[in-house]
Amino acid sequence: MTAREILESYEEISIESQTGDDFFVFRLYGKTFLLITPNKDDFSSRPRIYLYNDAGFDFPHVLLYDEEVKENTLIPEGTYRSVCLYEPESIVFSVISYEDKLFDAIERLIELLTMSKAEREKEFQKEFMYYWNCGLAGRNAIVFLCQEDNFSKFVLYSNKQDTRFVEEGIVLSDINYRNKGERKWSERVDIEAYYIPVLDNRGILPPYRGRPWTTHNVKDIVYGKQIEHISFDTYQCLKTTQVSTRNMVLVFGMKGEQASITFAVMIKCNNNTRNTRRTILEKIREDAVAVEPIKTKREDYTFLSNIIGNDIGLRGKRALLIGAGSLGSYVAFEIIKNGVSNIKIYDDDILSNENLLRWAYGGLGVGRNKAEHISLLLNIMHPEIKAEGIPKSIDEKELANEVKNFDLVIVTIGNSDTQLKFNRMLNNIGCNIPVLYTWIEAGGEFSHILYVDYSKPGCYECLFTNESGEYVNNRASIAPEIVESNMIRNGCGGTRAAYGTAVLLRTTATLLTTFQKIISGELQGSTLIDITPNSAMNSLTPFPMEACSCCGH
Amino acid sequence: MKLKKEFESFFRKIRIDDETHVLKEKRDILQDDIESKLPEILADHGITISKSDIRMIDQGSYKYKTTITADVVDRDVAVIIPLDINDNPDPREIKGYLKDSITIWQRSVSVKEPCVRASYYENGEEWLHIDLPLYADDGGFKYLARGKATSDDYTWEPADPDGLNADLCDKILGHDQLRRIICYIKKWRNEKYAGSSGDHEIPPSIGLTYLACDCFIEQTGSDGDDDLLAFQKTMQGIKDRFVCTCYDGEVLTADISRRLPVEPYSDVFQKMKDSSTSYMVKFYKRLSKAVDNLTNAVNVESPHDAAEYIQKVLGTDFDVPPKEAVTAVTQSKREHSFG
Repeated sequence: MTAREILESYEEISIESQTGDDFFVFRLYGKTFLLITPNKDDFSSRPRIYLYNDAGFDFPHVLLYDEEVKENTLIPEGTYRSVCLYEPESIVFSVISYEDKLFDAIERLIELLTMSKAEREKEFQKEFMYYWNCGLAGRNAIVFLCQEDNFSKFVLYSNKQDTRFVEEGIVLSDINYRNKGERKWSERVDIEAYYIPVLDNRGILPPYRGRPWTTHNVKDIVYGKQIEHISFDTYQCLKTTQVSTRNMVLVFGMKGEQASITFAVMIKCNNNTRNTRRTILEKIREDAVAVEPIKTKREDYTFLSNIIGNDIGLRGKRALLIGAGSLGSYVAFEIIKNGVSNIKIYDDDILSNENLLRWAYGGLGVGRNKAEHISLLLNIMHPEIKAEGIPKSIDEKELANEVKNFDLVIVTIGNSDTQLKFNRMLNNIGCNIPVLYTWIEAGGEFSHILYVDYSKPGCYECLFTNESGEYVNNRASIAPEIVESNMIRNGCGGTRAAYGTAVLLRTTATLLTTFQKIISGELQGSTLIDITPNSAMNSLTPFPMEACSCCGH
Repeated sequence: MKLKKEFESFFRKIRIDDETHVLKEKRDILQDDIESKLPEILADHGITISKSDIRMIDQGSYKYKTTITADVVDRDVAVIIPLDINDNPDPREIKGYLKDSITIWQRSVSVKEPCVRASYYENGEEWLHIDLPLYADDGGFKYLARGKATSDDYTWEPADPDGLNADLCDKILGHDQLRRIICYIKKWRNEKYAGSSGDHEIPPSIGLTYLACDCFIEQTGSDGDDDLLAFQKTMQGIKDRFVCTCYDGEVLTADISRRLPVEPYSDVFQKMKDSSTSYMVKFYKRLSKAVDNLTNAVNVESPHDAAEYIQKVLGTDFDVPPKEAVTAVTQSKREHSFG
């Protein structure tokens, strides 16, 4: 079928004009649209639909931006607004025929235009932040929250472009930075700001064309007639918290379909009561004369972690990382990116050029201590990350003290003797947090993770013990024999195994999965994991070893 | 289970969990006015009560959590005062005193047949009314003050507001599927009677609530509550309780009764019946149409088609999932770019 025949198959559609085979102007439900058909020579091409010459039409997925077309021979002059018919990546266009693409696009347009009020509300809420921020100028509000459920107050810091709204209790590591003596962020005291969690978001829609926000929108949230949008506790806070500035900013937070929605609005108040302290509720109900939406972005570590789909189990955990070599560098960055915002790293080694190609973020820091350098880079990543690098090797005594301050220990030094020492000490003190030992076998092909729960049988020394209780070489080894061929010897203490980076990535990925399993309770007790180029699985190596002189009985 | 997600979403849209702060404040102010002014006004007419003698209790759907969104918020708060009804045989007078105690410019107050109503307006439109049924507590027996301000038809009707509350709370609270079904039935009623304004033309909430309680049979499956089936069966059960006379396929009369389980043990549909026989026929026909649509929704395979039938019963707030055929053709397995 041709595009024209497809359009004509709909009773609701009347074609107004056609240019070539690809451009159709048609009427549907009283509106005029432009259809650009998919390119037949490009099988991934999609149809495009634009609303024509209708600046006032407020409908979900009809974009707010106008595109002016002048002196064009293919389509009529005028203003076009794109109709967003597809969620990104929801369709693989290449596998759909030209005709089906057109039928589908028209069906989607009809479905869009015949949405009920409730469906439109739902769609507007899905794209809330797009509509909220669209077209807003001025200073951005960058919001940092440590929780979403309770009323709270913000401390405000500004630079030339942005204002940070930092919930009381959050410490940002860069807030006191200075550039040539000048502070990067200055605290603002001219305006107060508060966080108001919205529990029930029914009827709360973003501003859009022809429907700007007014004081009524804010009043309806905090003082709803039929639907209670906020909790009793929040309401009480609004009734009792006094505001000392004439205007104030309210930052609302509500749960969206996929992620939290956070938006800030300036409440402009009259100056009749400037000499008396008024509560937030009084100011909203009686003093507010105008509201100004503020372009809002939420950037706290928790939110950024949530929107990439991180496991919430790791959030807020404190990790002690022993070893900042090749594997340690990958592990440090990845666990931070997976939700652990507090880390302490021990390593006495210096980063050299020979390390760079198998060291995460290897382009910087040659000549610096590895632990300190990783910490520096991690702290730059986000101001809520607290990374501390200690430029020394940790000994047993220090480790015994440190485990009291952390939720997780990861050992990435790969040295069996040191790991055996640490293992024995941790067993003796009855360490009550998960400890993960990691090592790469000689040859660089296979690696292992040992999770030890010292309250249960099984420890690192079990791997070096046979059934008779005698010490043996690590029984977990998969490689059939000792590999010597890829050792690079450049002096005593400078031996380097040439194993590339794939094994590091495999081991790091498995480590992240292991964390999730520990936190979710899927791993019950000490577990040995074998990692090969083809798989990562619980080891068949006999473990724990009852005859182990460390943990056995 | 068909349309489980859609019913959950629908209930989230229509439910009212509790009073809003503004409602609580309005009610508190009203209560303060009654407690402070009514004893004085009654004293002027030789009736002695103290502030602490006045008891105000929640009634209606807010009490048993079956309130749904509506254009006008409707609250019911009973006012119970100690009163000898032999000495004060005219309830209209006492209702008039109650009216006087709450009449201020911020609210419009009127005497209705079973209550005194305080209405609140914003920009010329009513957004809230609080109905205050007035009860006399005469030696432990309670009587509802009935009668419009100027009507000759008035009486102190024996009543048991606490017993009624207890009965409904016992039946509904803790039975979440029943609570939802009652809300769906009320939403259906609001949809179908949106244009009705005649006195007693609309089936009363108390009647629908009791019928729902009577006819409800819990429906659950392996993946939770099946609200579609429970709704259909409850509506079918209500329909089956009608006694109809038909001629040539046309329904001539339809009758349904539900007596209150407490004083005055009256039929909650009596006023509807007394107003016009056509009201009950209309009620029956609309209910039958709803049952047909719900039965079709249960029987069709496609969730899209089923939801379209449900929309005919509950309105467009009920989500319709996409057509499966469209979904199959165009919605390939999702892939993500590495953003």
